[in-house]
Amino acid sequence: MGDPGADESTSRPGSSDEEGGSSEDRPLLHQRLAVRELLDTEVSYLHMLQLCASNIRGRLQQLPQGDLDVLFSNIDEIIQVSSRFLHGLQETASKEEEQVYLVGKLFLEFQEEFERVYKVYCASYDQALLLLETYRKEPELQQEIQSIIEAVVPQAGPSGLSFLLVIPLQRITRYPLLLQRILENTRPDASAYPVLQRAASALQDVNANINEHRMRKEVASKYTRVEPLSLRERLARINTHTLSKKTTRLSQLLKQEAGLVSRTEDKEFDDLEERFQWVSLCVTELKNNVAAYLDNLEAFLRFRPHECDLDIPGGSVEQYSNLARDLQREAFLEFKQRLESLVWRPLCSLAKALVGPQNLIKKRLDKLLDFERVEEKLLEVGSVTYEEEAARHTYQALNSLLVAELPQFNQLVMQWLGQILRTFVALQKDLAEQVLQRAEGCVAQLPHHHLSEPAFRKLVEDTLGQTGNQLHVYRENFEKVLPPPTAQPLLPGSERQVQALLSRYGPGKLYQVTSNISGTGTLDLTLPRGQIVALLQNKDTKGNSNRWLVDTGGHRGYVPAGKLQLYHVVPSEKELRGQAGPHQDSQHPTPEPPSAPVCSVPAVTQVVAVYPFAARSSHEVSLQAGQPVTVLEAQDKKGNPEWSLVEVNGQRGYVPSSFLARAPSPAPWGWTLPS
Amino acid sequence: MKPGKNPEVQVKGWIPFKIGQPKKQIVPKTVERDFEREYGKLQQLEEQTKRLQKDMKKSTDADLAMSKSAMKISLDLLSNPLCEQDQDFLNMVTALDTAMKRMDAFNQEKVNQIQKTVIEPLKKFGSVFPSLNMAVKRREQALQDYRRLQAKVEKYEEKEKTGPVLAKLHQAREELRPVREDFEAKNKQLLDEMPRFYGSRLDYFQPSFESLIRAQVVYYSEMHKIFGDLTQQLDQPGHSDEQRERENEAKLSELRALSIVADD
Repeated sequence: MGDPGADESTSRPGSSDEEGGSSEDRPLLHQRLAVRELLDTEVSYLHMLQLCASNIRGRLQQLPQGDLDVLFSNIDEIIQVSSRFLHGLQETASKEEEQVYLVGKLFLEFQEEFERVYKVYCASYDQALLLLETYRKEPELQQEIQSIIEAVVPQAGPSGLSFLLVIPLQRITRYPLLLQRILENTRPDASAYPVLQRAASALQDVNANINEHRMRKEVASKYTRVEPLSLRERLARINTHTLSKKTTRLSQLLKQEAGLVSRTEDKEFDDLEERFQWVSLCVTELKNNVAAYLDNLEAFLRFRPHECDLDIPGGSVEQYSNLARDLQREAFLEFKQRLESLVWRPLCSLAKALVGPQNLIKKRLDKLLDFERVEEKLLEVGSVTYEEEAARHTYQALNSLLVAELPQFNQLVMQWLGQILRTFVALQKDLAEQVLQRAEGCVAQLPHHHLSEPAFRKLVEDTLGQTGNQLHVYRENFEKVLPPPTAQPLLPGSERQVQALLSRYGPGKLYQVTSNISGTGTLDLTLPRGQIVALLQNKDTKGNSNRWLVDTGGHRGYVPAGKLQLYHVVPSEKELRGQAGPHQDSQHPTPEPPSAPVCSVPAVTQVVAVYPFAARSSHEVSLQAGQPVTVLEAQDKKGNPEWSLVEVNGQRGYVPSSFLARAPSPAPWGWTLPS
Repeated sequence: MKPGKNPEVQVKGWIPFKIGQPKKQIVPKTVERDFEREYGKLQQLEEQTKRLQKDMKKSTDADLAMSKSAMKISLDLLSNPLCEQDQDFLNMVTALDTAMKRMDAFNQEKVNQIQKTVIEPLKKFGSVFPSLNMAVKRREQALQDYRRLQAKVEKYEEKEKTGPVLAKLHQAREELRPVREDFEAKNKQLLDEMPRFYGSRLDYFQPSFESLIRAQVVYYSEMHKIFGDLTQQLDQPGHSDEQRERENEAKLSELRALSIVADD
C-alpha cells in the first residue's frame, strides 16, 4: 500500500531538538518519522481512493449500478473526509514543535466523522465480497475486470478488485497503530502526550464500534429474513441437529418453568420487549380497524339511491340527486383515495416492519435457552465446545442488538402512529369541508332554507302527517273500486219469491247465489246464478260451516257457502258514493264524481270546487276545478243535501255537494298539498 | 295487466265465433290505451319507490357501519396498555375517542331523521299500490264479465226472433246492464284516480328530499367543527398531501435504517 515508508531524513531547519543529547534523539526521530509516515501514507491513500472512485468505477460499466453501489459504497464520502483530514495534517507540518499536539487534536476532531463514514463502508464490505465471489465464477467478466484494474493500478496484482476494496478497511485500522507509534516515542511529560493518548484510545473506540456495527448487521440480516417456507421445506430443514437444538431448548424452557433452573432475568430487556409487544398490538389493531373502515366506506359508496328520481323533475329531488352524485364521484372518492395512500399504506409498511424485530426477539429467546444450557454445562463440566461458545456469542449479539435498537424502534413507530392518526383526523375534516362546500349552493335554493332546523323539522313532521292521511284516502278509494258486492240481477219472475222469503225470514237472512251451483249429493241443491235463498243453518249436520242449509221458497237443501252473498234488499249504510235504489247499481243517474279525497285536516277555512261542473240550467252555476266558492246553503229547496247553493264569481246557483271540498290549511310555501 | 294483445279485435266471419267473445269492440282502443299508459306509469313508479326505499335503507345501514368502525378505531387504541405509559399518547387517543363518539351520536340522529322523513314516507306511498293493483284486477274481472255477457246478448240477437229467444234476449240484456255499468264505473274511477295519484308524488316527496339534504348538511357541519377542533388540539399544521407522503417516506427510511428491521 503506497510507497514503502520513505526514509527521508527530514532534518528541518530550525529543529533544534538536540537538547537532551542522543538519548532523546532517537525517540524524537522516530516520532518525527512516524508523523511523516502518517502524512505520506495518507497522501497515497487518498490518491488510491480517487483512482478507485473515478477511473476504475467509471470503467466498470458492464456492472449494474446496484452492484457498483454495493462495491464502492460510500467511497465518495470517505474521500471527502480524508481530503479534509489530509489538509489538516498538512497544515500541522509547518507548526514544528506543536505538530504532534495538533495531530492528536486533529484525530480527536475527526473521530466522529471517521466512525460515521467507515461504519457504513465496512458494513457493506461483506456484501461486496460476496459480489466479487459471484464475479469470479464468470471467467469472462473476471477477465474484463482484471484488465481494467491492471491498466489503472498495476500493483494491484492478481487479487484485483478485492485488493482495492479492502484499502479503506486497512486504513482505518492503521490509524490507531500509527498513533500508538507516535505515542511510544513521545515523552510522557510532553504537552502533547495526553492528547495523543486520548486520540489513540479514541481511534481504538472507533474501530471497536465499527466492528460491533458490522457484527450486528450480520446477525440481523441472518435472522430477520422472513422466509415463507412450505411445509415440505420446513420438514426438509429438520435434521438431527435442529431437532436436538429444539428439544434441548424445550427442556431448558421446561426446567425454567419448573423452577429447576433459574431464568436469566433481564428486566431492561423485558420492559423493552413488553413495550414492543404493545406497540405491535397497536399497529396491528389499527391496521385491521382501518381496513374494516375502508370496507364499510366502499360498501357505502356502492349504493346510489340518488339514481332513483321517481320521475320527479326539478325541485329538491333534483337538487338532492345532483348533490349526492357529486359527493360520490368527487368528495368521497377523493377521501377514499387519500385514506388509502396516507393512512392505509403507511400502516401496511409499519406492520411489515414489525416482522424483523419479532423474529429477532424469538431467536434471542431460543439462543438464551441455549446459552443457559451452556452455562450449566460450563459449571458441570468445566468446558464447552466451540459450537456452544458460538451460541453464547450469538445470544449476546442478539441481545445487545435488540437492547440498542428496540427503544429507537419503539419510539419511531409511536411517532409515526401519531402522524398517521393526525392525518386521519385531518382527512375527516377535509371531507366535511368538501361536502359542505358542495351542499352550500344546493341549500340556498331550497324553499325553506331560511327556517331554523327545529322549525323545519316540525314543519316536515306536520306536512308528512297531512300527506300521509291523504295517501290513506287514496288507498281507501282504490279499495272501494269494488263496491259492496254487486248483486246479480234477479231472475225474471222472482220478485214475488223474494218478497215471500223476505216476509218469512227477514232481510238479514237473504242471500244471492253468485255463480251456478250444481248439487252432487241428494240433499244438495242445484241453483242458477242470481237465485235468492234464505239461510236456515250456516253449517251442516256434521258441523261443516262451508255447507249451508237454505230455503229457496220451494225447496230446501245444502249449498256451498262460498257461492252465496248477502243480499241487500234495501240500501243499508251510507256510502261515499251515495247509492240508492233496489238494485245496488254502482252508477247514479246524476253526475257522480269520483269521491274526492276527504282530508281530515284541521284548520278548515275555505271551500273549493274540486271538479269542473257545467251548469245545465239557470238554477245551477258552473264550476272550475280549484275555484274557491262560498257555500250559502248546504242543501237544495227540498232539503236534499246532494245539492248545495253556492256563490262563485258573483253568481249564485246550485252545484252537486260532492263536487266541493274543504280546502286544507294554507299550504306551506313551495309545497302544494294535493287538492 | 299487460299492455299488448287486444282481444277485442276479431275479424268477422274469419275466425269461428267463440262463445264469450263479443264482436263489438266494447272498450274503445283509445280508452284502453290511455288506461294502459296511466297504469304503466304507476307500475314504474311502484318499482322505483320500492327500489329507492331499499337503496336508502342499505345506504343508511352502511353509513351506520362506517361510523361504528370509526369508533372501534379509537376504542381499541384507548384500551392499549401504552396509554398508561405514555401521557401524550393517552391525551391524543382520548381526544380522538371523544370526537368519534360524538360523531356517532350525530350520525345516528341523521339516520333517524332520514328514516322518519324519507324511508317511512316511501313506505307509506308504496302501501297504496297493492290496493291500486287489486282495483285494476277487479276492473279486469269486470271487463271479462262484461265481455262474456255482451257476447251472450249478441248471440241471442243473431238468432231468429222466436218467443223463447226473445225472452232469453231480454233476460240477457237485463243481466248485461249492471255488469256494464259496473265496469264503466270502475274504469272511469281508475282513469280519474290514477293520474291524480301519480301526480300527487310531486308534492308528496318534496319535503322528504329537502329534509334529506338538510340532514346531511347538519351532520357534516358538526363533523367539520368537531374534527376542525381536534386538528387544532392535536397541533397538526396544515400539511399538503405531498408533505405527508414525504413524512411517511422519511419515517419508513428511518425505520429501515435500523438493523433489526428486515430489508424488504
